Amino acid sequence: MKYNFYNDVLTPILSSIERYGERNAFCIDEQMYSYNTFGEKISGILDAIAHIEYHNQKVGLVINDDIETYASIFALWLQGKCYVPLHPNWPLDRCLDICDQVELDLILDSSKETRYEKVPVVMTSTLDVVGVPLIARGDIEEEELAYILFTSGSTGKPKGVQLMRKNVAAFMDSFWQTGIAINEEDRCLQAFDLSFDVSVQSYLVALTRGACVYTIPHGQVKYVYASGLIEDHQITFGAMAPSMLRYLQPYFSELDATSLKACILTAEACPLNLMEDWYNCATNTEIYDFYGPTEATIYCTYYKLTRGGSNKSLNGIISIGKPMANVIGLILDEEGKEVPNGEKGELCVAGDQVTCGYWKNPEKNKSSFFFKEVNGEQVRFYHTGDLCYKDEDGDIMYSGRLDHQAKIQGFRVELGEIEYHAREYLKKNAVCIAFDNESALTEIAMFIESNEFNAEELLAYMRTKMPSYMIPTRLFFVPVFPLNSNDKTDKVKLKEMIH
Amino acid sequence: MERNLIESKLTEIFREVFNDSALVLQEDMTANDVENWDSLTHMMMIAKVEEAFGVKFRLKELNKLKRVGDIIAVLEEKLS
Repeated sequence: MKYNFYNDVLTPILSSIERYGERNAFCIDEQMYSYNTFGEKISGILDAIAHIEYHNQKVGLVINDDIETYASIFALWLQGKCYVPLHPNWPLDRCLDICDQVELDLILDSSKETRYEKVPVVMTSTLDVVGVPLIARGDIEEEELAYILFTSGSTGKPKGVQLMRKNVAAFMDSFWQTGIAINEEDRCLQAFDLSFDVSVQSYLVALTRGACVYTIPHGQVKYVYASGLIEDHQITFGAMAPSMLRYLQPYFSELDATSLKACILTAEACPLNLMEDWYNCATNTEIYDFYGPTEATIYCTYYKLTRGGSNKSLNGIISIGKPMANVIGLILDEEGKEVPNGEKGELCVAGDQVTCGYWKNPEKNKSSFFFKEVNGEQVRFYHTGDLCYKDEDGDIMYSGRLDHQAKIQGFRVELGEIEYHAREYLKKNAVCIAFDNESALTEIAMFIESNEFNAEELLAYMRTKMPSYMIPTRLFFVPVFPLNSNDKTDKVKLKEMIH
Repeated sequence: MERNLIESKLTEIFREVFNDSALVLQEDMTANDVENWDSLTHMMMIAKVEEAFGVKFRLKELNKLKRVGDIIAVLEEKLS
């Protein structure tokens, strides 16, 4: 095989620890950690888990923003294990649901005190420095899992996307083939929660090249803190969500982003006018628009923008470009046939980056994946649910979602999950609609079929079930929902009430 | 402007933006202590504060406004 996890992920990181021991691997909350320290932390965790009896290949990881959490990922990977992020700020119910679903029998937690009582926990922040050598097991199959990320699910239960070692290796190979080059002199931004897969790109690209990772602590306002990092630490590379730059846009004239050499925009549709302004602020940067669902490992297509040139866009949204090296991307009609260039259809993707499926979810697996013949071979594809077309050059233009999903601050949200929890509590009808506010940022409005009442208890309940970015920011009470000609709730009419 | 007037105006804004009518401001309160305090609501809060007090924050100032006490102090300074 051209690439594998051992050669393309683990070996380069072990070699960074060996070659760049004195250099900084992480800057976390204004504290620097060298590659030597990082290696010692990994070693300590390896030692701790070697002395514990657990059977599940999948291990829960409380994703604090600290060196122990990052070290835990690599300790698990060296041992052929898989990490399952459990966010310290998510409601405990949601985390326990994940523990149950995956049947976790070990959790690594760097918190002062753990929230977990029933599952054995290794407290990683109080471990001694030991001399356990860092060795990657060479006997692990490429089909073993590397991480499972739980995303919003429309049934009210989070759904787990399983990523294999092979997926991550294929991604890294694809990534370097884009021509983005990073070395030990680089300072790389890590602006994403570890529950979100762009974080994996953000730490892996830096650590496999001996560069330093600059994180954003929990509880900091991301865009404000990131601007401080860029200026104070002269960040050279980073992936960001367009909304982060949208927040910063009013301050572009005050922001010195000249140190940025390359910048990836991802996780949301990327507006062209915002990028034109960003070019004026980040005067030395190359800009790339990367697109991809978690199911196809971080990114699967990209478009490199041209400074001062004409950049392709549709309705003001930049093209998502062409598939990466290890990805096949086709635009298909409802019957699964490829449509001619210029015609809209669903973007479907295949190749080594595509997940083996959702955790214990046969129904969803049946509806999300399918086989199609490509060049005489049966190839397994994933339905992205994104409406797109290819132009005459093969560049993919993004036109919107086919279903009931929204991107809130980069997080993919099933509006159906929010509606589910509201209905459960109220026993009344509720509809959520995502809309762009005056600052062109996406908010969630919830419409409740009822006379007005004090909704604080409802919101408090919802906060125990979902992360804060999923809680609606505007509420509307409508005694009777309007219906459209198909006798369905008329969401167009509801949406008109927002402004 | 007097400090208690700043505090009461700010309380009103916080209660509205963070959707919590019982919210009581404390000097040491940060985004970690308020359920809905994230990038989106932070920006909404800053916009409301700028409007209500007729001030404009610079990016460097935003970077220092981590605690409620910082916001009050900067407002006191700007409005004196």
